[in-house]
Amino acid sequence: MATETKKDTRTAQQAPTVTLTIDGQEVTVPKGTTVLEAALGMGIHVPTFCWHPKLKSVGACRMCYVEIEKMPKLAVSCATEAMDGMVVHTDSDLVKRGRKAVIEFILANHPLDCPTCDKGGECDLQDLTFKHGFDDSRYDFLKMRFTEGAVHTTFDDVRIGPEIILNRNRCILCYKCVRANKEAFGEYDLGAFERGNITEINAAPGREVSNPFSGNLVEICPVGALTNTDWRYKIRVWLTKQARSICPFTSSGTNTLLWKEDHQQKIFRCTSRRNDDIDDGWIADVTRYGWSYVMAEDRLQTPLVKKEGKQVPVSWEEAIDLVARRLTEIDDTKGNVCIGGLINPQLDNESLHAFNKFMRVTIGANNVDHRLDYPMLPAQGDTAYSILSSQPFSIADIDTSDVIVSFGSDMLKEHPNEYLRMRKAYMFRQAKVFTINPYAVKNADIASVDVVYAPGTDEIVVNAICLAAIEEKLVDAGRAAGLKDKIVPNSAAEAAETAGVELDDIKIIARSLADGKQVTFLVGELVARCAEREPIAAAIANLNRLFGLTDKGQVARLARYANSKGAEKLGLTPFPAPEVKAKLERIFGGWPENEALTTDKMLVQMNKEAINAGLVVGANPLLLYPDREFARECLERLDFLVVCDSFETETTAIADVVLPLASWAEYAGDYVNLEGRTQHAEAAIKPRFHSRPALEIIEQLARAMDKPLFESADERRREVAEVLAAQAVLPWPNDYFEVSFDNAAADSEYTIPVFVGDDPHHAGHLTEKSPSLSNFVSEAYVEMSIELAAKLDVKAGDSVRVESEAGKVIVPVKVSDYLDTDAVFLPRNFSSAQVNSLLMRKKRVNRVKITRVAD
Amino acid sequence: MSFYSPVITNAAEVAQSDDLHLFRYVEDPEQHNVDTYEKHGGYVAWKKVLTSMQPDEVIAEVKNSGLRGRGGAGFPTGMKWGFVPKDSPKARYLICNADESEPGTCKDRVIMERDPHAMIEGMAIGAYAIGSHLMFCYIRGEFGHCIDQVEAAMKQAYAKGHLGKNIYGSGYDLDMVVHTGGGAYICGEETALLNSLEGEKGLSRIRPPFPAVAGLYASPTIVNNVETLAAVPHIINRGADWYKTMGTEKSAGSKIFSLTGHVNRPGNYEVPLGFNLKTLIYDEKYGAGIPNGKKLKAVIPGGASTPYLKPDMIDVGLDYESLASVGSMLGSGAIIVLDEDTCIVWSIMKLIHFFRHESCGKCTPCREGTGWLEQLITRIEHGEGRPGDIEKIDDLCGNILGRTICPLGDAAVMPIQSTIKHWRDEWQYHIDHKKCPCANTHEFK
Ligand SMILES: Cc1cc2nc3c(=O)[nH]c(=O)nc-3n(C[C@H](O)[C@H](O)[C@H](O)COP(=O)(O)O)c2cc1C
Ligand code: SF4
Ligand code: SF4
Ligand code: FES
Repeated sequence: MATETKKDTRTAQQAPTVTLTIDGQEVTVPKGTTVLEAALGMGIHVPTFCWHPKLKSVGACRMCYVEIEKMPKLAVSCATEAMDGMVVHTDSDLVKRGRKAVIEFILANHPLDCPTCDKGGECDLQDLTFKHGFDDSRYDFLKMRFTEGAVHTTFDDVRIGPEIILNRNRCILCYKCVRANKEAFGEYDLGAFERGNITEINAAPGREVSNPFSGNLVEICPVGALTNTDWRYKIRVWLTKQARSICPFTSSGTNTLLWKEDHQQKIFRCTSRRNDDIDDGWIADVTRYGWSYVMAEDRLQTPLVKKEGKQVPVSWEEAIDLVARRLTEIDDTKGNVCIGGLINPQLDNESLHAFNKFMRVTIGANNVDHRLDYPMLPAQGDTAYSILSSQPFSIADIDTSDVIVSFGSDMLKEHPNEYLRMRKAYMFRQAKVFTINPYAVKNADIASVDVVYAPGTDEIVVNAICLAAIEEKLVDAGRAAGLKDKIVPNSAAEAAETAGVELDDIKIIARSLADGKQVTFLVGELVARCAEREPIAAAIANLNRLFGLTDKGQVARLARYANSKGAEKLGLTPFPAPEVKAKLERIFGGWPENEALTTDKMLVQMNKEAINAGLVVGANPLLLYPDREFARECLERLDFLVVCDSFETETTAIADVVLPLASWAEYAGDYVNLEGRTQHAEAAIKPRFHSRPALEIIEQLARAMDKPLFESADERRREVAEVLAAQAVLPWPNDYFEVSFDNAAADSEYTIPVFVGDDPHHAGHLTEKSPSLSNFVSEAYVEMSIELAAKLDVKAGDSVRVESEAGKVIVPVKVSDYLDTDAVFLPRNFSSAQVNSLLMRKKRVNRVKITRVAD
Repeated sequence: MSFYSPVITNAAEVAQSDDLHLFRYVEDPEQHNVDTYEKHGGYVAWKKVLTSMQPDEVIAEVKNSGLRGRGGAGFPTGMKWGFVPKDSPKARYLICNADESEPGTCKDRVIMERDPHAMIEGMAIGAYAIGSHLMFCYIRGEFGHCIDQVEAAMKQAYAKGHLGKNIYGSGYDLDMVVHTGGGAYICGEETALLNSLEGEKGLSRIRPPFPAVAGLYASPTIVNNVETLAAVPHIINRGADWYKTMGTEKSAGSKIFSLTGHVNRPGNYEVPLGFNLKTLIYDEKYGAGIPNGKKLKAVIPGGASTPYLKPDMIDVGLDYESLASVGSMLGSGAIIVLDEDTCIVWSIMKLIHFFRHESCGKCTPCREGTGWLEQLITRIEHGEGRPGDIEKIDDLCGNILGRTICPLGDAAVMPIQSTIKHWRDEWQYHIDHKKCPCANTHEFK
């Protein structure tokens, strides 16, 4: 079909260029480049306030004036497109006068309270006044001052969000905050009010600025008008140094800087470190504020060992000796297969690899998994799902896609960075976006069509799209041959009906997939964490084959955690990809013989007392495993449980030995992001208290068991590099998969589908220890549509009992901005509410009933 | 019910004339009814366009007529329509700018109240010319009666099949939406109007892109003034050549001038472009001179945004070129007459207050500059001016002029600069004598 040629034209098209002269130097730039960008690209300094590389130019501040020959007026370079033959002067007398006038206007009503402003030292206004302004003011009136709503300190500060302080007097009205909020994040909790010289930036009436990207607003504010509470007045910026780090909470590996001070061994803040391939310089609040768990005072300080039923502090030597002894004992008496190992995929490559080697060589068991929050998975490993998961994916390719589908993914909560990329493609290139989910998600607001299907019918929706394409003859008949016979039901109409969606919507999606020149099809956690993910993945593989999507774009299941992709590529799963396994086998000098066990299978074995010891590194299965009761029962049956973590958790509470784990900011490490890109995070500070990095702990343990893992650090690195180099992408099959479906009937009493995931301001179990993030959200809730709240006769804040067959929790109601069906969402990040106790590992869709708690 | 604002017009004269046309029926109390409008030849042009003309022919006719925008800038209308990209796959929109807020201007209001179908018919023809199937009329919120009249007229037009689906069996669909503004002057500026219409704050947008390429919802959009559009049906009916017989070579046609201030007969007068300003002020048929036999001090010829004229400059044609030759502009055609008792500084203080208040606040020079200027001018008028203030004002004006996103910044400073040039002594008097020479003659402050 035409799809192959389409791809060619995309890459073959040479972008047209223009050539102009700036300050006497000739330069050739792609057509569409602004004069400003052309100048900056040549290293010519042109001052700006309102320009931002990732926002549309508005030409508001007028600081970026240049003189262009043959143009009657000064031009704002940020909003002037470079044209052939232009002759530009960036520093002529006229330009200098123009800039000076702008600085004078801006400073006229500026408080000049630099001595008490926390932006001092990194303020664009200070810097540009220093460079381009003058030292006297012709403004001889009283300065305008905003005090309304302010705390009447000298600073006239207003708190406008959990972390944001606004000082309107300092605001120079560059509108970057409002623009970023709207253009990049699609948020409207901040706005400009009034008009003219009394214009003010402020929170939207009755709202707080608390969107999941709000920290960026502070970062892009050129002056001290927006500051955040976690940083302000703690230290002067020039006393800090920066460690180049990456986000440990999301899988994109957004690049960050950790601002630290070496004498105090303290981290003070986290900001972005723009990498256009990955993050465009935007980071989610969870990334920006999450670091503060590192500095929390309730970190685990020393190893703990259970003595007479109580955990007591012991030395590292004692703890390691004990663990080595007990593991050896169990190994000797019950066999090595009796030890299970679970590790958090947020840990760095070398820790993961060391753990793999420890489990598969030192212990000699095939009991390794990093997927702690997944329910029952196919015992023999996935087929279609593994293929889907292994597919290459590029964040930047989202930008250029003209059709973007997010399927089974609450993008904002799972993949905030890619969520923003979708918005960008929509905002800046008018990409068509489709969201297809079992409940309405936030990015439905940019969707051409938002499909909300009946929970549990995921693969049927995918089949419906395929069937619609065949019926409407949108795809080549040859290509379609054979598909219809392999899938259910028989027609798109029937499939749409089963899934409870509009056939017309399905047809529109089918048409766009067929017509799209570059399609990005993203699959998320609602599929990954579904017990029936294999048939869903099979349906997606069929869809890919039918439309030829990977020939003209990408189809990818997005890895969820900071190093999930690394864990997959390093083979931290029961069934690594063939080439990965081959490499590991060679390095390990063999492969354990026992049946490979997934997390779920390990738990089952623990329950049967076929596994007697457990080693859990950096993870909290009791909070995150989707069946709390089962996980507890199994882990409690163990003879010996070792848990490494940075905090005391529900899982450490039942451990025999607890080892304090250093955080990612306390050691250097490499991480593989969801694209497969390996990135390095520098250490910001030394491990706090007596905590140690996972790698160190695992290596010590192996040494104590007289089986050192590596001869040298070099060897360790070589091994990691070698495994990572293995081809982990699995080919799509040459035929369609069979996709059958049986529609399990809903329980009678429990009718409301429940989805458990991360709150947009949290990720996993560590972020609740971050005081800044707790300022946004600090407790669980049940999020529901306005309609459901009305039906249940409850309102926001009311306490309700959410009850399933398995368990119940009591949480407050949150009325959702975007849920519009009867499904509910609960965040799993808070130990105060054990929301995973609502889930059962064998259920495809968990359902609950909700009743109001009498007050 | 028919309620009209009590505005003097020269409808009787227009009715006598063979050529003047905008005001021909504005004194007919039934003209706002579609039947009366049709009886007077209404919707004939629209039918002609739909049934016998290609969009390009319409554009060519309007281009040939020499019609220029009556909203202030005087841009050739047909040429503007021609800027809409022919190959754009996007929807196109035609917007009638009925935000009429320029101080002194009150002409569009008369058309909307008394002859709303003329505007609607012109809009429809414009929409067809650019291939638009949805047109908006953006009316300033305070114009309650205009809104009622236009909405009623629109309903009648739908009922009579002048709007809607498959109009006159031509297959052409055209819908109309009336949108009321919130009362901001800046929302008359076409890009701020677009933002407002989209539900955003009324802030001007930087050009390019021009609305004709990327306007409402980033789609090709034409914004035209009420009066501009109301002239279009006549041009279609009687031809470009006829239209060109009125006015001057470069300023064709007729225009409504809103004459206000110190004149005996303030009102709206339709005259051919090039008409003598002095005649308009003094002739008994029009302004009939200045009350109480006072002498003339100054004339603002084109609305509050245009440079002042001294008495010895008013023997000039009311057309784009002639007014430019005396350093001013035709603007929206709102002529404000100031008599000898009026303090120039006081009048400027009133204007700068207006512009400061109406600045959208997007770009630095206008937002900060108008506020600063208002403070300086106010203190001079109040006898508190300091030596050097006039020079400072002049310099600040220079830092705003030509340095802003939209023309409001220019509009705010051009009148100031013109008065400093023409009445420098009077400015200086305020500072030297620490008082306003005409303070006691101002009725209100
Ligand atoms: C501050 C400002 C206010 C304006 N107000 C109006 C207005 O109220 N009505 C109007 O028709 N044009 C107004 N304009 C002019 C419009 O921007 C635009 O040029 C005009 O509507 C185009 O129509 P025309 O070509 O028919 O004149 C204003 C311009 C500025 C800069
Ligand atoms: S608060 Fe900061 S970013 Fe927002 S407009 Fe003011 S100066 Fe710009
Ligand atoms: S000139 Fe004034 S009104 Fe126009 S965009 Fe700038 S601030 Fe707004
Ligand atoms: S940076 Fe160009 S106008 Fe602000």
